[in-house]
Amino acid sequence: MARASFTILKDAGNGLCKTLSEILVCPLSKQPLRYCEETNSLISDAIGVSFPIKDGIPCLVPNDGKIMEADDTPKTDDSVDSSSTKN
Amino acid sequence: MALRMVTGKFRSKLLPMFSSSLLHSHATSFGFKEVHEEEKSRMVSNVFSNVASNYDLMNDLMSAGLHRLWKDRLVSKLNPFPGMKHLDVAGGTGSGEEKSLIWVEGDAEALTFEDNSMDGYTIAFGIRNVTHIEKVLAEAFRVLKRGGRFLCLELSHVEVPIFKEFYDYYSFSIIPALGELVAGDRDSYQYLVESIRRFPPQETFASMIADAGFQKVEYENLVGGVVSIHSGLKL
Repeated sequence: MARASFTILKDAGNGLCKTLSEILVCPLSKQPLRYCEETNSLISDAIGVSFPIKDGIPCLVPNDGKIMEADDTPKTDDSVDSSSTKN
Repeated sequence: MALRMVTGKFRSKLLPMFSSSLLHSHATSFGFKEVHEEEKSRMVSNVFSNVASNYDLMNDLMSAGLHRLWKDRLVSKLNPFPGMKHLDVAGGTGSGEEKSLIWVEGDAEALTFEDNSMDGYTIAFGIRNVTHIEKVLAEAFRVLKRGGRFLCLELSHVEVPIFKEFYDYYSFSIIPALGELVAGDRDSYQYLVESIRRFPPQETFASMIADAGFQKVEYENLVGGVVSIHSGLKL
């Protein structure tokens, strides 16, 4: 899909602006997310899933999440979508 | 979706957002076709991938530029105040340089914001494309604060005699041909006009909004019902 690379978030590339990190929650568990600088992703500790940040935009569609114990395994919880995982 | 942190003129938006089908399997509509729920999200995604590059141009052509006025009307109902947190869902192409917007990619049926965190919620020309309207409404209700307003701008149903016939002709004869001519894609625009007819009429949609918990649900038809702005309050 055509996509513009806006980086509107205050910290270019890495991290998240404070406002966003205060109100974002995991889309499935609705529990707080933790930012992981090493992988530039948002971690939902409640369900052990990480969500990527691409071009400064958090990608929090449930199917974008990856189960953390098994690397490169697409999240399958509550979904039968077999679209491939992007990293 | 775009989260707006400060007041000011409201801009268009981000990438289209799609709902993922979750729990049960049953059929839903994709225009006039019946499709499996799990297929709808992918099919809608394909439509928007196809139309993305001509999206703004086609919107201008199909509505003779009126879509901008309709969105202005939607914005005028927002009553913005300094420091308000506003969520716009189904953002479109994200054109414009509004610097106070924050972008998040997510699922309208599984929003990624805390309960009672938003002062306002808008969805313009997006709710027609989701798989489960009720889930989108429930999530909108969840994230809005008490006193928060839900606003939805969507293509709707025309019942005005004679005008209705012209509108149907325009929809089914002109629009897909325009899509073919300008965007090289008749099918996507056929989907567009069919999905408008499949979407619940104004009164039905209003009762769905009320079922989600909103109060003072009302709607305003523009251009005889070609578009309608529905609103509700979380009290």
